[in-house]
Amino acid sequence: MNTVEVWVNIAVEGKTDEAVACRLIRHVGALPGKVYVADGKENLRKRVPGYNQAAKGQPWLVLVDLDRCSCAVALLQKWVPQPSPYLCMRVAVRMVEAWLLADATNIADFLGVPVSRVPSAPEQLSDPKQEIVALAAQSRRRAIREDMVPNTGIGQRVGTAYTARLIEFIENHWDITQAASHAPSLQRSINCLTRVIQRHRFTLSGTPFSAEASL
Amino acid sequence: MAKTEVPYRFSALRLKNWKNFQSVEVELPSRVFLVGPNASGKSNLLDVFRFLRDLVAPGGGFQAAVERRQGVKALRCLAARKDPNIEISVRVLPTDGSATPSWEYTLAFNQDSHRRPRIHQELVLKDGQAQLQRPTEEDRRDPDRLSQTHIEQVTMNQPFRELAKFFESVHYLHLVPQLVREPDRVSGRPRDPYGSDFLEQVASTSEKRRTARLKRILSALQVAVPQLSAIELWRDVKGAPHLRGRYEHWRAQGAWQTEEQFSDGTLRLMGLLWAVLDGTGPLLLEEPELSLHPEVVRYIPAMFARVQSRKRRQILISTHSPEMLHDEGIGLNEVLLLTPTPEGTSVRPLASVHEASALLSGGSTVGDIAMAHTRPDKARQLALIEP
Repeated sequence: MNTVEVWVNIAVEGKTDEAVACRLIRHVGALPGKVYVADGKENLRKRVPGYNQAAKGQPWLVLVDLDRCSCAVALLQKWVPQPSPYLCMRVAVRMVEAWLLADATNIADFLGVPVSRVPSAPEQLSDPKQEIVALAAQSRRRAIREDMVPNTGIGQRVGTAYTARLIEFIENHWDITQAASHAPSLQRSINCLTRVIQRHRFTLSGTPFSAEASL
Repeated sequence: MAKTEVPYRFSALRLKNWKNFQSVEVELPSRVFLVGPNASGKSNLLDVFRFLRDLVAPGGGFQAAVERRQGVKALRCLAARKDPNIEISVRVLPTDGSATPSWEYTLAFNQDSHRRPRIHQELVLKDGQAQLQRPTEEDRRDPDRLSQTHIEQVTMNQPFRELAKFFESVHYLHLVPQLVREPDRVSGRPRDPYGSDFLEQVASTSEKRRTARLKRILSALQVAVPQLSAIELWRDVKGAPHLRGRYEHWRAQGAWQTEEQFSDGTLRLMGLLWAVLDGTGPLLLEEPELSLHPEVVRYIPAMFARVQSRKRRQILISTHSPEMLHDEGIGLNEVLLLTPTPEGTSVRPLASVHEASALLSGGSTVGDIAMAHTRPDKARQLALIEP
């Protein structure tokens, strides 16, 4: 191989975000490293200073959902006032589900609904997860309805196999380039990740010893 | 229970071609947590210490210890090339932190053309001085002698009896609550690792010592089961021993419950805490978190430390639980990471993980780091199983 292999460690809130992070990293030509799943936003927030510290030496992708917070920039400022050179800390506007809806053709196909039903500006949605569930409920495919739509009255927010189905979509069907053209926060994340990886690659090849070691 | 004059611990382990470990070289502090994915060989690593115990235990010996593990072929690492020796080497130090007396024991073995286990090397060092170096001239003249170690023979091990006693003091426990409740399911194995003789052990301890231990166990248990107010031993009409606990109820007198009514988790915790108090040699515990609430699991390391107070015996724990490792008192050197590779499983301390200290200083716990490094890469494959 003539380019330096770059591994990017990942910190996320949950399993869906993990699958998205892995795809993004491969999309920009790097390899997913260790995955730190924090189980919830608050746990992630507590650990961010550590990820930032570790990102002084190796690339990290930290992915967090904006949820009900009003502004992504403010959140970034508050969580990491001084980001390290190899930290790519990204906020998905509302949640990563919006990034999936942004690839309207494929998500419509996967969920078995007409593409016209998929909202055209997914980042404007206040609850993209509910949007996906609502689409799944109209699915032509019974398996999708059964897996992704919650049973009423027992406190389920999503169907039993909702996460499994989403991961299946992310891994096999999600077209990142297509999605990025309809979700600006996804496009910004790709740009940021590309920069961080280039910076790291440059450092690696600029330092003869470590470059040789990872060639 | 075997007692040594000076309580010892294992301070380092080196392995070659043992089960799924082609090559291992690690330091062992006095508390060790083994973490790794399923089937990475946590139990196989603990089995090295059980093997050393089997060498010297009554009814044991080298042949029996290998036999019990289905022969040399089953013991040898599959990743090993050709038929190399299996090699075990341990360093042993006093638990109190002093540097002497220090011991080193090495055993290398293989099988002969009749598949009989044969010793290739046996080495004992005390404070760096060789006490035993085999094969000796006599071994060469009479190769049958290489079917037994010297450490297992009372007539031969006099200069290093202390080391033999230490090996014998190793205790392995993988408590199964159902067997504690119904010991008849296995016919009374003494020192049964699965706990069928647990009640018998408690009963055969002198009353004074038993009362003292149960009191300590009770105070540690109250972290997990706050409504438990007393535990004691009693005998039924047939004389069989039982443990019972009194629970604070809305009724003024409370109510006694026997071990049949204890929950799996409570009973298991009692057994583990008893084991921690019983003996001075290294204690090997297999997944002590089973059947316990995560919030209770969080306290296990502290509970073990509390009940032990002064005497700190070595404890080696295999675990899958991040909660167990959330305790801030756990050091990066105390966690050993088992990583399966095509060349066999590798073992290294969490301290060797590049990003570990940065993450710890910024809010992550030892458990977070251990889990990121042991979670199966393919967990998401679960999502892709065809219905």
